[in-house]
Amino acid sequence: MSHTSGAAALERSGDIARMRMRDIFSSSWLLYLLSVCAGLLLWHSISTQLPGVIFASPFAVAEHLVGAMAEGDLPARFLNSVRHMLLGLVLALLVAVPLGMLMGRNETVFHMCNPVMTALFAVPSVAFVPFLILWFGIFYEARVALVFVMCFFDILITVTAGARNIEPRVIQAARSFGANRRIMFFGVLMPASYPFLMTALRIGSIRAINGMITAELFFAAVNLGEYMEDASAVFDSAAMLSVVFLLSLFGLLVQELVKWSEAKLLPWHVRD
Amino acid sequence: MTKSHILFLNVTGIVMFLLLWEVGGRIAGENLLAAPSIVVFEYIRLLFAGDMLRELVGSLRQMFVGFGLACAIGMPMGALMGRIRLVDALVHPWVSMVVVTSAAALAPIFILMFGTGFEFRVAIVFVSSFGYVTLTAYHGARGIDPKIIDVARSYSTGPVETYRKVILPALFPYLITGARLGLVHATRAMVMAEMFVLVGYGGLIFQTGQDLSTAPLISYLVTLMFVSVGANMGLGWIGRQLAPWYDSKMSAG
Repeated sequence: MSHTSGAAALERSGDIARMRMRDIFSSSWLLYLLSVCAGLLLWHSISTQLPGVIFASPFAVAEHLVGAMAEGDLPARFLNSVRHMLLGLVLALLVAVPLGMLMGRNETVFHMCNPVMTALFAVPSVAFVPFLILWFGIFYEARVALVFVMCFFDILITVTAGARNIEPRVIQAARSFGANRRIMFFGVLMPASYPFLMTALRIGSIRAINGMITAELFFAAVNLGEYMEDASAVFDSAAMLSVVFLLSLFGLLVQELVKWSEAKLLPWHVRD
Repeated sequence: MTKSHILFLNVTGIVMFLLLWEVGGRIAGENLLAAPSIVVFEYIRLLFAGDMLRELVGSLRQMFVGFGLACAIGMPMGALMGRIRLVDALVHPWVSMVVVTSAAALAPIFILMFGTGFEFRVAIVFVSSFGYVTLTAYHGARGIDPKIIDVARSYSTGPVETYRKVILPALFPYLITGARLGLVHATRAMVMAEMFVLVGYGGLIFQTGQDLSTAPLISYLVTLMFVSVGANMGLGWIGRQLAPWYDSKMSAG
């Protein structure tokens, strides 16, 4: 008897140890840190194989970032870039969201616009650059236009798909309780739209950041684009990687922010 | 809504778009926006001139090397991330980072690293499609219903058999979807990279942008559109042929 219970206790303590191990491994912060360290180590080991002018090590990039941040030049350029990105993104949202809702909720409009929109979406947005140069020149207007084009179609497709997929049962339930048009719109359709509007915002802002740096490299080089071109002229790979790193970090931050606010604002909408 | 009704609306939409474009083109003039009536003839001329198709085939070949690499590495990695928590934790932050990284920002660095030739384009295409392929495979692997794995286990299926007969077929629709998504981004990256260093099809687009007429430019874009739509439909067709359960699985989203 005592023997078996001892074995059970042993087994249980083994279980506990295993559980503790699992706790440690599933504590996300530690793993996150581990992942970041492993990635940086890999980056560093690759960079030691290559000449420094081609691929800087993470330490060189960190050093450059600290220096550039203290100088104040890089943050100022970043802010300038973000300004035209925001304008393009807001314009795209203002046009694409209503259009997407209309296409999603009205069958006639959907079938009329769908082939044209699919065709336009299939053309890579960057390929419109020569047109944008013809129409808007190579300065501020062109940059805003490219950001607009680059996020417009992604937002439109997301909103259209989301609006089409609103659960019909929800609408039927509201109708059978005699909801009028106003209640139907504000009480049913709008809350049902928040989740995919958030997705559209997330995808749109990633595309907008992408468009922002693309525009600065393809049109007249200004802000971050100029910074990168200057760095590439003198083979300063640390400076170039700093900009890429900063942009990726910014994109990641925006994405997580949108996800976080989605979880806070729309607790009923469960996502894995 | 019947099928013929839908077709009627589709055609009406396209005709209306073309009419609007024609009117806009007539008002703006050929050097700002060539009307479709001009583009059609220019398109036929370019089609027989041969330059367009030759450059396109060359660019696509290079793109498929990068895209193939992204699939070959991204799909197994995504599947591993979905099934093994430690791999997921280690790799996921960096894959998310790759997804949000803009390919254009990487172009100047990749030029330093690889020059402007074959390797450069392959690397850009790889980086920009890799993340999407991986993440789609990951979501597929994570979403596999534990019940079907339990069934396999209760019939005492070995791990290799389980993988081959249960996990892989369940994953398959996601792999195809990931490939479709990755291909969209691969095409975008290819054009961007080629416009940046002025070679191949993208170079052709950028250089004709300086011409007096926009008709050739629009022709190039139309071809690009056909290729992109065609590749997407082709992958969907392959998916349905290889896995008849593809549509039922993917119809939800």
